[in-house]
Amino acid sequence: MRIPIWIIAVILLANPAAAIAAEGNPDAGKAKAEEAGCSACHGADGVATEKALAGDKNVPNLGAQPDLYTQFQLVFFRKGVRKNELMAAMAETLSNEDIRNLGAFYASLPAPKLPLAADSAPDDTELGQKVAQATHCNNCHGDHYEGIDNIGRLAGQREDYLYKALRDFKSGARTQVGAAGMAEVVYPLGDLEMQALAHYMSRLR
Amino acid sequence: MITPRSMNGLRSTLVIGARMAGLLILGLAWLAPARADDALIKYNGNTRAYWEHPPADWFMADETAAQHGTHPYPGQPTPTPHDELVGLVKDNIKLPPGFHIEVLASDIDCARQMVFGNDGTLYVGCWTEHVYALQKQGDKWVAKVIIKGLRQPTGIGFYNGNLYVSDIDKIYRYKDIGKNLDSPKGEVVYSDFPPYTSHGWKYMVADTQAPGWFYIPVGPPCNVCLIPSGTAEYRRVNPDEGLSEVVALGQRNSVGGDVDPRSGQLWFSENARDWMGDNIPSDKLNHLIRFGEHFGYPYCHQGDIPDPKYAMGHKCSEFSPPALNVGPHMAPLGMKFYTGNSFPAEYRNNIFLAEHGGWNQFNHTGARIMRIQTDVDGKNITQEAFASGWIKDNKYWGRPADVVVSPMDGSLLIADDQAGAIYRIWYDGK
Repeated sequence: MRIPIWIIAVILLANPAAAIAAEGNPDAGKAKAEEAGCSACHGADGVATEKALAGDKNVPNLGAQPDLYTQFQLVFFRKGVRKNELMAAMAETLSNEDIRNLGAFYASLPAPKLPLAADSAPDDTELGQKVAQATHCNNCHGDHYEGIDNIGRLAGQREDYLYKALRDFKSGARTQVGAAGMAEVVYPLGDLEMQALAHYMSRLR
Repeated sequence: MITPRSMNGLRSTLVIGARMAGLLILGLAWLAPARADDALIKYNGNTRAYWEHPPADWFMADETAAQHGTHPYPGQPTPTPHDELVGLVKDNIKLPPGFHIEVLASDIDCARQMVFGNDGTLYVGCWTEHVYALQKQGDKWVAKVIIKGLRQPTGIGFYNGNLYVSDIDKIYRYKDIGKNLDSPKGEVVYSDFPPYTSHGWKYMVADTQAPGWFYIPVGPPCNVCLIPSGTAEYRRVNPDEGLSEVVALGQRNSVGGDVDPRSGQLWFSENARDWMGDNIPSDKLNHLIRFGEHFGYPYCHQGDIPDPKYAMGHKCSEFSPPALNVGPHMAPLGMKFYTGNSFPAEYRNNIFLAEHGGWNQFNHTGARIMRIQTDVDGKNITQEAFASGWIKDNKYWGRPADVVVSPMDGSLLIADDQAGAIYRIWYDGK
């Protein structure tokens, strides 16, 4: 089923919902990310570190993730609504102010822009683009898949992470608010389409 | 590691190609709300699957090109910090002369229906998962989560020392809550509600004429549909006895009501259907006069608009009209008749109505407390804004969800489930 456009920051449409209250401080968020250990895995620049990936492929890039999206995921980890042992332990130490600051910090970082290696699967890129258009991912995730408000950035996200996320939505492993909508979206997608989507999105700059 | 593609990939491509018939015209689409017709959400609201396993965006079911781009507010992940909230209230909230507002408690991550216990404790229900108790310690109110692990415990009631919590399809009773605040033990006392979660969140209207009974709304699991049985109605429930009666039909989404102390009759707010535009239909204030009255949904809206699809030959004159059309997309929720002694005499028996502010509109309205004056029979009914200012630059920085009159001092408390706070309005004439 189609999901509607949530917000496009253009003349005739409503402005993004975020922030006329409860804003975070990106500098405080940067300090917290260092101190709490977020940077060790997610990178001081919001790009998942080699060291973290050597241990666990399931570490996302956080650079340029929308503020509310990061905040909501941290709240979900802290509450245990989104299940991840390591992140639950990390989030438990965070105050509401920390969460706001971290949201603001990661949103202030540029989008991940690692130099692109030659495309190892150009067919996947082509299929991924077609699947994204047919599925209308941009309806929620934005024209450039950059995300907005409480909807995550896909462009430049790690391929392994995106593929796992799609599989988790399809299997029902991710159950927090918003996940059921994603379950609807991925329901008709096969494994090859999900691989292709992940490959395509990860290479967007 | 992504494995090399096989011929299966090509077949997938062909399948997807067949679905590409309705691609967007990307350039123009971002400049105007209008969209290609097949890009709009279309759920069939009349299927058991839709009622029992609603998609996460079930409320988008009747999306139109004209309203495309509207969406429910994402909300705040964390409550607004206290000092910031005090500043926002000071700079934005307008009240009549002689009235004042303060932040009674903040940092409550959700605040819906409020009810006082018999010892001054304020119980607050939530949109998600838990119930709070607030108690005054010195000159501060301290909030504590007392119940966890529920689904949508928005409706709460207090009777005979017990706390009652309405959570979608169950009413839990926590006996002697005042003595068991640290570890309340809940038991299900009524579960004869339909299981549907869409519009399934509840509110408990204490029947002040018959303590132990509560009027409880049951919403339909859709925007507009030919409803499954047992929904789109109001029941009068005695949780201790586990008994109920259906008192009214044809209401779409009521999350507030109160019994008029002058007549003993139920008055209740109602949210009208979506996707007919910014300006229609109006949300309503209804007055239950005759047992079993039908207030029109899904056939007729705001008393005089037959539903484009569901009127099905019915005329609006067959149904009970609203006592008052409060305006489109105001999202009226909790309400109370003012029975305190500290407001000027002309406020006695007026209704204070919390308007949450709608989502299915481009220009936001509501997000305020309305004062409604009415004769006991619903004649000479007028409305005016009493407390407003929670909309700024067409965005909500707070959204009122309920009001309650303090039995201690007659002040009016307001629950704000976006900022995560309770406000208090009092009168001193200055």
